[in-house]
Amino acid sequence: MSLFSALGQRLLQLIPVLIGISVVSFLLVQLSPGDPVRLLLGDRATAEAVAQVRERYGLDEPLLQQYFTYVGNLIQGDLGRSIRFQLPVGDLILDFLPATLFLIAYVVVISVPAAVLLAVAAARSQGGLVDQAIRLFAVVGMTFPVFWLALMMSRFFGVELGWFPVSGYGEGFVDHLHHLFLPAVSTSAWLIPLLLRNLRAALIEEMQADHVTASRSKGLGETYIFRRHVLPNSVLPTLNLLGLMISFLIGGSVVVEIVYAVPGLGSLMVGSVVGRDYYVIQGLTLVYALATVVVTLTVDILSTLIDPRVKL
Amino acid sequence: MNWHRIAAVGLATALALSAPWIVPGAAAQESIRIGSPYRTTTLDPMRSAAAGNIETFGQLYSRLLRRNAQGELEPGLAESWEVSPDGTTVTLKLRDAKFSDGSPITADDVVFSLLRVRDDKESAYPAPLQQLKDAKAQDPKTVVLTLEHPFAPFLGNLEVFNAGIVSKADVEKRGADAFTKDPLTSGPYAVSEWRPNDRLVLKPNPNYWREGYPKNAGAELIEVPDQNTRVSMMLSGELDAAREMPWSQVAELQGREGLSLPLEPSTVIYMTLLNGKKPPFDNVKVRQAAAHALDVAAITQAMSFGNAKPANTTIPGALEFHAADLPGVAYDPEKAKALLAEAGYNGEEVTMLISDIADLDKLAALIQAQWQAVGIPSKIEKVDRGVWWERVPGADYHAAPSWWYNETLDPDLAVRWALCGTCGTESFYTFYSNPKVNELTEAAAAELDPAKRRELYRQIQEITTNEVAQIPLYYPPFTNAYGARVEGLSMSPALQWSLEDASVKN
Repeated sequence: MSLFSALGQRLLQLIPVLIGISVVSFLLVQLSPGDPVRLLLGDRATAEAVAQVRERYGLDEPLLQQYFTYVGNLIQGDLGRSIRFQLPVGDLILDFLPATLFLIAYVVVISVPAAVLLAVAAARSQGGLVDQAIRLFAVVGMTFPVFWLALMMSRFFGVELGWFPVSGYGEGFVDHLHHLFLPAVSTSAWLIPLLLRNLRAALIEEMQADHVTASRSKGLGETYIFRRHVLPNSVLPTLNLLGLMISFLIGGSVVVEIVYAVPGLGSLMVGSVVGRDYYVIQGLTLVYALATVVVTLTVDILSTLIDPRVKL
Repeated sequence: MNWHRIAAVGLATALALSAPWIVPGAAAQESIRIGSPYRTTTLDPMRSAAAGNIETFGQLYSRLLRRNAQGELEPGLAESWEVSPDGTTVTLKLRDAKFSDGSPITADDVVFSLLRVRDDKESAYPAPLQQLKDAKAQDPKTVVLTLEHPFAPFLGNLEVFNAGIVSKADVEKRGADAFTKDPLTSGPYAVSEWRPNDRLVLKPNPNYWREGYPKNAGAELIEVPDQNTRVSMMLSGELDAAREMPWSQVAELQGREGLSLPLEPSTVIYMTLLNGKKPPFDNVKVRQAAAHALDVAAITQAMSFGNAKPANTTIPGALEFHAADLPGVAYDPEKAKALLAEAGYNGEEVTMLISDIADLDKLAALIQAQWQAVGIPSKIEKVDRGVWWERVPGADYHAAPSWWYNETLDPDLAVRWALCGTCGTESFYTFYSNPKVNELTEAAAAELDPAKRRELYRQIQEITTNEVAQIPLYYPPFTNAYGARVEGLSMSPALQWSLEDASVKN
């Protein structure tokens, strides 16, 4: 099957997935108690004003009708309007998307080289002092809760030493790197151990494979064997794990975004859930689903490039 | 290429890239940055009475009257006013003032702004202007307001956040859109950029009527929901002021160089709602028992580390006519037990409904323990604000520890909101309604002699405190923190920043 027809098929599979997600997210959000209009208008708002605004926003219509209106608009590419801000949901999400994407790219740029480097070092000295130290580091890194680490790093590197800002996203590329440094490191501290343990195990297994022993018996150098045979054959599981983690981070960057007040999708999601901003929550859910599909697809395509035996 | 080398080069590049910015100090910061957990959700003063919006409206829209630093009413957009001898007609002379686009602010704009707050079906909080019978523009600079009956709080109510003046021409032309992006403003600031769910960036309104104000180059109202993050941002100098520092860190922050935490008086009151529609709290004796069971002084100490004042009446301590000499409900567990026996209370468990505000867990636990000691078992149910605001108006609770505040120093709106059973909000959904109190509410508002008004509000406080319309707990000051870089910034008891008076030190 050609790459393109495989891609086409993947995209077709996406349609039922998105419909399912839109139904579930719509029902979950709408059926949960809490009235967005009361929160919007304030504690002392009159019952009449609350009723009037509910009516104007179409929140008093039957649920089924609301769903069809929503889907009808969705098909035309309209995600609806935020109940809280009366602004298009699409615009709102686009405003908050860059910070999250930047943060995730930053995390990947920090985590992947570090994880590869540490995993290789550990695998090559399996059981040795270096390996022990790296494994200890991995266990420690995984046990710290992200929010605690984030808070401590912001107090130490941000407040006490004053090296990095403790909040925001900044203006311009360099400023983004500066502002998101602590959030990215806090997240990496959790991601690196995961990737590193996974890759280390794969490397060790591969180093004992028959074809590697055969290469050794042919008198090839260890370094050559490692980079030509062992590493390429070991990265696939870690690549898949990385893909999974990136999809997770798109929705799961909430914690660092809140602690570091980063205006990203996580902050928007929390604000929307607290304010019962139905259409924003639904729009974000669709974005998360789409992002997961795109990341998975990218990982699959990369896999075929690394290992031609893998088919889409 | 060697795999090691790729990894090593990658890591080295990452480090090299990050090295140059490990430098302390930031570029010159001109605007004043304020962090608050409360969000701006609309720029239309009519459309919301929620805390974040109230703070914003004050910066964007001038009112006819304003309050000075001492809390006294003084001329705002109206340079003078005259009240007729019978107290039912107020004639106001407008000063020469302009909207942010340079168009003049006329009597038509004033009439339009006030009437839409009173009449528009979507107006969130028409209460302050309920007694306004008619508003007329006598000439472009003169507004005549007639009242249903003499109404003492009226001038004060013209200073409330939603009485801000908006442009009639602009709102009629652009409709609701007039407030989404770049509204015409009459206050010290105009909107430079609004990033909903993140921040509102304010720039000085070049046509603001107070000459020489604002005394700064602009401000950013930044929404920071997490309390610890606001503390970090204050400590690192990323904010010049922040709302609601945690009580547990007040002393530490006060001792920190370059920071101040003046504990400004507020119109906030912490209290417990008791649902008078359902047993057991529909019985006044059980309510009294629940109040006598609480050691309010100890609760205040534990909650605020001694920084708040124990509440002695059902209205906030910072309000005018607050009866500071009333004794409050005494802590008396024995009396509480006796009252419960008298009431025939059967020991049925009550539900304490709290929302997810940081302090309320602790407060509810303190109340639970002290009620348990006199024989009122309770369970604490924690829900988010959305659910809380559905269940409380729906009378689906027994007790609900929470807080409220008043938008102005006059007690009229507070009494209507929290204690009057016929004023539209069922006494803050406690469904407490005493005909005598309802009558006194109207009488106190119509009384123009301050000494007599004081006496009437005293009666209201006495009756409602004794009948335990709510259990008053404590009057907290604001725990706003301020950085040393900014001078002259403070918050009024009714949640208005003195932002226009603040200047940045160089």
